[in-house]
Amino acid sequence: MIELKDLLAPNAFDPLIYWILALFAFPLLSFFTTGLLKDKASVWSSLLLGINTCISGYIAVTYWGEMGTSLKGTWFEIGGTVFNYSFLLDNAALIMLVIVNFISLLVHIFSAEYMRHDKAKPRYYAFLGLFTFSMLGIVLFHNLLFIFIFWELVGLSSYLLIGFWFEKKSASLAANKAFIMNRIGDLGFLTGLMILYTQFETLDLGAIEFMMGESQIEDGNWVVTYFSNGKEVIHVLDGRWLSAAGIALFCGAVGKSAQFPLQIWLPDAMEGPTPVSALIHAATMVAAGVFMLSRVFVLLDAQALEVIAIVGAITALMAAVAALSQFDIKKVLAYSTVSQLGYMVLAMGVGAYDAGLFHLFTHAFFKAGLFLSAGIIIHQLHGLESEGVKFNTQDMRVMGGLKQHLPITFACFVICSLSLAGLPGFSGFLSKEAILINTHAWSVEKGGGYYLIELMAFATVILTAFYIMRAVMLVFTGKFRLPELTGVSDIAGKLKEGNRTLLIPVVILALLSLSFAFGSTFDAETSWLHKAVETPSGAMVPTKYAAVGQAEMLESAGADHIWLAVVSIGLALAGIIAALLIYKPGAKLAEAFDSKREPVSPLVQVSFYHWYQDVLYTKVILKFILTQSKMLAWFDEKILDGCVNLLARTQVVVAHLTGMFDRYIIDGFVHLTAFTSGKVGQLTRSIQTGNVQTYILSAIAMLIMLLLWFAF
Amino acid sequence: MPVEHLVILGAILFCIGLFVVLTRKNAIAVLIGVELMLNASNINLVAFSHFDPDLLQGQVFALFVITVAAAEAAVALAIVVKVYQYFQTADLDKISELKG
Repeated sequence: MIELKDLLAPNAFDPLIYWILALFAFPLLSFFTTGLLKDKASVWSSLLLGINTCISGYIAVTYWGEMGTSLKGTWFEIGGTVFNYSFLLDNAALIMLVIVNFISLLVHIFSAEYMRHDKAKPRYYAFLGLFTFSMLGIVLFHNLLFIFIFWELVGLSSYLLIGFWFEKKSASLAANKAFIMNRIGDLGFLTGLMILYTQFETLDLGAIEFMMGESQIEDGNWVVTYFSNGKEVIHVLDGRWLSAAGIALFCGAVGKSAQFPLQIWLPDAMEGPTPVSALIHAATMVAAGVFMLSRVFVLLDAQALEVIAIVGAITALMAAVAALSQFDIKKVLAYSTVSQLGYMVLAMGVGAYDAGLFHLFTHAFFKAGLFLSAGIIIHQLHGLESEGVKFNTQDMRVMGGLKQHLPITFACFVICSLSLAGLPGFSGFLSKEAILINTHAWSVEKGGGYYLIELMAFATVILTAFYIMRAVMLVFTGKFRLPELTGVSDIAGKLKEGNRTLLIPVVILALLSLSFAFGSTFDAETSWLHKAVETPSGAMVPTKYAAVGQAEMLESAGADHIWLAVVSIGLALAGIIAALLIYKPGAKLAEAFDSKREPVSPLVQVSFYHWYQDVLYTKVILKFILTQSKMLAWFDEKILDGCVNLLARTQVVVAHLTGMFDRYIIDGFVHLTAFTSGKVGQLTRSIQTGNVQTYILSAIAMLIMLLLWFAF
Repeated sequence: MPVEHLVILGAILFCIGLFVVLTRKNAIAVLIGVELMLNASNINLVAFSHFDPDLLQGQVFALFVITVAAAEAAVALAIVVKVYQYFQTADLDKISELKG
């Protein structure tokens, strides 16, 4: 039998704790100190992040291993309940650690130029520090309570950064939207935590995993038996709570990783500065959801995984469709992120833990690369703006033909795009391939309607290739549309390539989007990064509820590796070629693009307005809530306030009556007494005339009367 | 001479003294009235000493009364002088400080 205290017992002192504290300390120091600096803020915080990146690199190299190093300690104790902290440095955490720090560093460097003229630069860098700090917490901690705390911190810092230009109404609204959508997801996460705590009386993931392995399903009930402080406890919950716990935890990821139906905050989050978008989309925030899923992966039962897979597939397809018709370059990339996150979640759902994490890692680089490239374009176009010339610097309608002006950016953008599209030779291919193979095996295993999920995954491949090539063609080829739109013909000559501070991060990210960086060109299985994260060999949930293992599934499906690869490459190429043909310079659509406005045809509208989800939420949920609030307000005002007012009025009347009684009856008695005493006094004082002779006369008279009294 | 005559004389004298005390406005006159009343009592004392021929206690007591009356007159006159100095009058009707 297991004793809970033993599971939570702190392990021997390990100097690793100092490294971990250092990892937290530097971004936090950056958060607290950059606010004091002005122009030096960028240098200082980049320096701190650089140190942190070095530390994380050192730790990653030192602790690289199969099992992972865990570190436990007691946080505090209330009665017999122990709240502990624990860190787990397995390969996934180490890779995330390096990626988060590294991409954050690149974003810091990039921002030095991008935000050069922003007055609020110190605040910006402080928030970046906070963001990195919070994300590191999620990566390092292995206790759901701490993960939840840092999870919320990530939510807060993303709110602060999305709303960084809060003087813009749209930015503050977008920040609110992101925060609220995340709160809805967090509610689910919290529910999951409560279910797990009810069953296991701890939130330490290691302990939960161990006890989950010991728990059983008996007569449809989820039973776990263990010793808590020497007393045997048996927790019995309905078996459905096990699935509920998994789905509830996934809800958190739905919010943070922008999955259907909460994904609508992510496109709006483009209101933040572009480097922040790169950070949110690559290393922090949205990665947090997927990473958290990987942390609780072994606790998910078959049903929860199924829900996860379906949601992932839906998200991937919906967002890919939405990306097809956007004008805003950042919106294209945002929907692309949502779509790719759908892939990752799908991978987790079909049991391909390794593929999901692998895609998270590769995606981090090429998506950060895409965003920072877009950042260069936006920054350079912003430089063209002057008093008389104002335009939307993110709108692809003002771009076009930027290849000549920004050749290096163009090269980087194309590399990252091809990686996103999933062509061999680029990192995206490897991870996407792994996901597709696993999805295929899963569909074969499940059969029937589950082929639809596979179909959606493959449809997303072609759509992805198309929309990203469309963006490439519209931005970089053809003629520069801005001079014509603004009527300033010499404006094109002023457009220059970004400087070194902007280019170096982008070039690094583009290079890391090539598949040779991950040691393989065609097969994901041979990539060192893929090998580093092994899918846990079997879920911890009781066998009855457990999903089929990944390895078995792949085997029974007979994984047609080559065939699948050919199909996916074919689809990607088809998408790319279609985009090339449709948007090649001189083609009808490319020529007419600058005069394009919001679409009218319902089919295109579905894409442009992202399946009307925003409208739906505004029209239905928001309206419902507002109507309800109004009704409640009415009830509050009329009924509740009415009751209160009535009560108050009664009180006043009673008080008046009491007052009258007091004034007339009680006071009357008092006055009467005083009056009587006064009158008596007045009567008696008249005797005191002050005349001595009168006194003597009365004394004599009395004496005589006394004598007469005695005499008779 | 029978005792009754003396007693009646004393009573008449006492009544005159009382009348003077009660009716006169001047404080000095009131004092004179008081002296009359004292002497009326002295007559009584002397008259009743007739029944005590050995010791003559009544007569001795009358001597005492005369002595005390002298002292009283001295003190009372002093008070009257002071009262006159303070109120600038010796009219008893006007001295009514203790009127309630």
